[in-house]
Amino acid sequence: MKKYNYLPIILSLLTLSFIACDDNLNIEPEQNLSPEVATESPANVKKILNNIYTVARDNGSYGGGIALASELIGNNGSLSWNGTYVQPAEYNEKAILSDNSFVESIWVNAYDISNEANIVLSSLSVFTDDNEKAVTEGEAKFLRGMAYFDLARLFSKTYVPGSQNSQLAVPISLTAVLDASIIEYPSRNTLEEVYAQVIADLTDAYDLLPESNDIYATKYSAAALLARVYLEMGDYDNARAMSNDVINNSGTELTATFDGAFNNGENSTEDLFAWQVTSQDASLNDFSTFWGGVEFGGRNGNPDLSITSQHFNIYDDSNDERSLFFYETSRGTATAKWKNQYGNIPFIRLAEMYLIRAESNFRKSTNVGDTPVNDINALRDRSNASSYNTVNLATILMERKRELSFEGFSLFDAKRLGENIGSIASNANRLILPIPLRETDVNPNLIQNEGY
Amino acid sequence: MGVNIVIDNTSKGTQTDFDGKYEIMASPQDVLVYSFVGYKVIKRTAGQETIINIEMVSDNTFEEVVVVGFGKQSKRKVTDNIASVSSSDINNIPIASVQGALTGKAAGVQITQINGKVEGGVKMRIRGVSSISSSQEPLYVIDGMPLINDDESVSEAPINPLISLNPNDIESIQILKDASSAAIYGARGTNGVVLITTKQGKSGKTKVSLNTSTGWSEATNKMKWLNAEQYVELFTEASTNSYGAEDTWLTEEGGYFDFMSNGKDWRTGEVDTDWQDLALVKGSVQEHNFSISGGTDKTLFFISGGYNDTQGIVRGNSLDRYSFRSNLDHKISDKFRVGMNTSLSKTKISRIGTDNSFSTPLQAIAQSPLTPAYLDGGIVPNNETSIYYNFLMQEYNGNWNVNIFRVLLNSYLEYQILPELGFKTEFGYDNNNQTEEYFAGSLTESASTNGYADANAIQSDKYSISNYFTYAQTFNEDYDIELVGGMSFEESSRKRQYVAGTGFPSDDLQTVASASEITSGTSSRTKYNFLSYFGRATFSILDKYLIKGSLRYDGSSRFGASNRYGIFPAASVGWIISEEDFIKDSETISLLKLRGSYGVTGNAGIGNFASLGLFGGTAYNQKSGLSPVQLGNPDLKWEKTNQVDVGLDFGILNNRISGEIDYYSKKTNDLLLNEPIPGTSGYTSITRNVGSLTNKGFEFVLNTNNVMSKNLTWKTSLNLSTLDNEVTDLPSGDIVAGRNIVREGETISSFYLVEYAGVDPANGDALFYKNTVKTDGSLDKTTTNNYNEAERIISGSPYPTFMAGLTNTMSFRNFDFSFTFQGEWGSSLYNEGGKFQSGNARYEDNQTADQLDRWQNPGDITMVPQARMYSTNGQQASTRYLEKSDFIRLRNLSFGYTFPREVTQKFSVDRLRLYFTGINLLTFTDYSGYDPESSYDNNGNSNIEKGITFYSSPPAKTLTIGLNIDL
Repeated sequence: MKKYNYLPIILSLLTLSFIACDDNLNIEPEQNLSPEVATESPANVKKILNNIYTVARDNGSYGGGIALASELIGNNGSLSWNGTYVQPAEYNEKAILSDNSFVESIWVNAYDISNEANIVLSSLSVFTDDNEKAVTEGEAKFLRGMAYFDLARLFSKTYVPGSQNSQLAVPISLTAVLDASIIEYPSRNTLEEVYAQVIADLTDAYDLLPESNDIYATKYSAAALLARVYLEMGDYDNARAMSNDVINNSGTELTATFDGAFNNGENSTEDLFAWQVTSQDASLNDFSTFWGGVEFGGRNGNPDLSITSQHFNIYDDSNDERSLFFYETSRGTATAKWKNQYGNIPFIRLAEMYLIRAESNFRKSTNVGDTPVNDINALRDRSNASSYNTVNLATILMERKRELSFEGFSLFDAKRLGENIGSIASNANRLILPIPLRETDVNPNLIQNEGY
Repeated sequence: MGVNIVIDNTSKGTQTDFDGKYEIMASPQDVLVYSFVGYKVIKRTAGQETIINIEMVSDNTFEEVVVVGFGKQSKRKVTDNIASVSSSDINNIPIASVQGALTGKAAGVQITQINGKVEGGVKMRIRGVSSISSSQEPLYVIDGMPLINDDESVSEAPINPLISLNPNDIESIQILKDASSAAIYGARGTNGVVLITTKQGKSGKTKVSLNTSTGWSEATNKMKWLNAEQYVELFTEASTNSYGAEDTWLTEEGGYFDFMSNGKDWRTGEVDTDWQDLALVKGSVQEHNFSISGGTDKTLFFISGGYNDTQGIVRGNSLDRYSFRSNLDHKISDKFRVGMNTSLSKTKISRIGTDNSFSTPLQAIAQSPLTPAYLDGGIVPNNETSIYYNFLMQEYNGNWNVNIFRVLLNSYLEYQILPELGFKTEFGYDNNNQTEEYFAGSLTESASTNGYADANAIQSDKYSISNYFTYAQTFNEDYDIELVGGMSFEESSRKRQYVAGTGFPSDDLQTVASASEITSGTSSRTKYNFLSYFGRATFSILDKYLIKGSLRYDGSSRFGASNRYGIFPAASVGWIISEEDFIKDSETISLLKLRGSYGVTGNAGIGNFASLGLFGGTAYNQKSGLSPVQLGNPDLKWEKTNQVDVGLDFGILNNRISGEIDYYSKKTNDLLLNEPIPGTSGYTSITRNVGSLTNKGFEFVLNTNNVMSKNLTWKTSLNLSTLDNEVTDLPSGDIVAGRNIVREGETISSFYLVEYAGVDPANGDALFYKNTVKTDGSLDKTTTNNYNEAERIISGSPYPTFMAGLTNTMSFRNFDFSFTFQGEWGSSLYNEGGKFQSGNARYEDNQTADQLDRWQNPGDITMVPQARMYSTNGQQASTRYLEKSDFIRLRNLSFGYTFPREVTQKFSVDRLRLYFTGINLLTFTDYSGYDPESSYDNNGNSNIEKGITFYSSPPAKTLTIGLNIDL
């Protein structure tokens, strides 16, 4: 037999294999950047800013979730819930459990917005262009202010104008969390504190933002949101001033028809701010999911939220386009406001500013900008409804319902105006969302709302 | 199986037949070598005789050998706890998954299939659960190579990563349970190690084996649901209770019932759809395997091919697997050996939706019996008037297929440098290539976008190199020493591509190529690796005193640079008492061995970049964004488990009765925990090293040879094990996930629920125990109908505290018979779908028949509250939907008949066996749901959310008949 001599080969193989491969243990992720790189340049920080809009547009929040909570909890019989999901059914029944995952999404997303805004705001020093820096700061504050405003409205007792408002709202978190060492276990701030933060943020945004800013928040987006906040707080002077500023200076105008304000791929002329939805974003539009018939991407309730005959009592003119802005499915009546899965979601329309100015002027007996009756008739004319000769508070508020139904105003308006929902008093605990169970489980400093 | 007879130094050989006869052509000077496992080798020069009768002598020095990490060891001298399962235990069991065939065979090993889907994941838990957030799965090693064991399912329902292995190729499986055996796999040893050895040929006559079987299957259990008449009765009452009798919206002309019935007259009983029967169907199994094996004294080979076709019991779910294996081993010289094992397989799976999708068949049980399943004509499913999306549409107008290609390659070179010093280098390669394609047509849930299709492709591959020396020497006859030392390097990489599109011109065009719009797409790459050094020393003194020590040093890219390496030592001792003089001559006791071990193992089953802070790419309005996706934690380090094992091996009456008794205690520290953090931080969790938990238990194995006569043999094997799992330290406080909680002092994943107190006889309200803590520390056991007033309490565990397996094997003349019973006690299951299925008609979903026991009149005593449509009354999460899931199951049974050799020889067949096999034929349980082994597959990969069921299908009960043919 031939004598093989493999020993040298083996020894050399061995030598090779035992050489420390320590370098091989350094592997960098290929889909991710480190926090240092993500915040090191203006371009990157602006990309974080852009992502805040994505988080806000999430179907759990401004992509439908918040409006769904408001409309279903605020449902006094005008809507019928036909869907099979438990979480909205709990809203509709006003028997919300603290583990409701829709509530959890609203909370978690809002603080994701807040934290990312904090990250952007803490990274402003990388900017060299003052203008760019101002816009970035303004947008981040707009988004943060918006998030806290809705958190406060949903998780706290209603704001009472002229009183202390020391009721517990939500924790304010202004620290940019970029590593594990800065995790905090905050307590709830009072409603007064939260609203102060909201106004500070939105006022800064108003001062910093330009009049036009592509599809992003502008000076007048901030002004319009401020008008909404002041109205909620019963501060009619400021609500009037802001809405008047928007109507006069923003350059937006009511769409020619009511129909023109909805289901648009591009922002309409009356959008002061709208969430952008494209087929590429892989985001679900929960407005069409729950309000749309099956053929428009809605769920099997077809639609999950149908409109009952009771709703139609609010219209006073059969020619009013808004009273005709519906379609029938095999299971019921659906609103035509949410028919485009991939359409933009209007967040603040100019029509709301007319309503706020009219209400504030009326309450203050002023005619800043225009008379209440003219403002209301501007909306009625656009929808082919007969004009009023005079208006009172009741007609203004009814006009508000006609114009803004199914856009997420029900609960907030009912609570602000002290209107009972069915037999439930407007200040009932059941109309306030529970602090999500996951939060109270994790953070012992959070006190649960009464009734949960 | 006969005695091997080979002419020395040639490849010529034969085997004796069943009567011990043989024939061989030999020259007078040839030396005949007779060998048989367990007997001494005998050499005889042929000479001039024509008949040579040989009596084989049993070899007392023969010792059973077990495979251990990086080597083999005599079972007698093993100081570890290793469970062995041989090919005869797992072959011919018509289960597509390797793990499924092991159920009930090893003490302390819990194997649970998630539910009845054919591709579904299987969970193996060796000695309990040792981690909260890190991997809980054992390390699988095939012929020395660690396998890829990542679920690559595109949906949340896992696909068993080992589904592409053919169980019939397996020679033996060793499960390394204690630290002393598993620590040689260091950082991945904590959950135990499963060593799989594939078959190899034996020198001598070439053996051809064929196995073919075919069978039928059905669900182990079906539940009772309301029929149309009962449905009408219950829901009419529920509506009356909510809205008054005068509101006839359900029953009036054109009402909701009319809508459901879609033109059929429910009033006359024209429609009564049994949705369960549409979802759970009759399945079938076909399996065909062949193998050719043999070899000479220099070369051994084994070639096999297999085909498995399983039609699941859930409509639309099936699996086809083609597999091929070639194992080759060659001795180049006395010093040099090479070998290469290769296997290829292709697995095709027809999938169905996850348990949490309307398109999954079993969610059809929610549909009303008033709704016709099909439109008139009986072909097109009725999706017009069903309460939920009609799943039949998915089969009619969509499909979802997975193709898995898997290549395994192990090769080795072995060089005997000196008689006592050997060197082995192994190279292994594992490639898992998976393509998943989904299409939903214009009639499905994707109607609004005119169809939807996606395609997902994964290429996972892994290579491993290990080099090690083995030194074995005996000094002065009494001192044996064996040393193993070496290193290994492993690199695993994974690539993924995904694309989705909508808008299809025709339902016949089902690939994304025809989509009018590409709605989503992604691709990604990732990688991780391990670099390890290991050593082991084994001493045996006077064949009685055994000492072993091992050390492993592991480094992984998964950990932060400051904690990249971990050291995992282990030591064990053994004392073979039966070798001592005072007992050596005992006729009763043939083996008595005391052993003890201690060792440290690790767990690195976390994300590839878990220690880093990460930002990932997103988009808004088609412009790029950056999103913070993970908080960094540079201090992240190895999770370590210290395990003590004390055991006694015994054999009585010449090992007719033998067994093992073990006690173990495993303590895991520095748990890698996805700790929930306040959402107010902008994140919901972070991976940290916090807390510890323990698993403790007894294991008892008893093997008996009850009868060993010429015509009748009967063996019994029993295994029992207990498990006591406790979270001992959790500084961050409770972790609650869904219905489960991780809490200090309790079993991991304990159920955490409000306690249901039944129904108020006065008004039919559901009642709950308040369970608020009173000032004296006790719980307030008064009841309330206000759910929000009731506190959650620990109310059970998803893990069994006691498990048992009993296998009997018998043969009588030409008949053979075996069966395995398996049982688990102590666990519970929570039905997350209970609120819909058994919710006293709160939702319009069809209800389980027991809901007819609802409260109706004051004074009624029942556990089912008053039916109130659309109004909550007892449907909240509570112990109402929690149930004990103890069971005993006839896991498998086989009965065979081997035809007499005289008959089969006429057709040149060595052996012909006809057999019948059954799986899950009997289940004894008080559990009222589908099956104790049907759990929610969306939670399949969750570590904490365990013991939850949600429209989960029961497993299959299978009957097959088959033939074994050996040529």
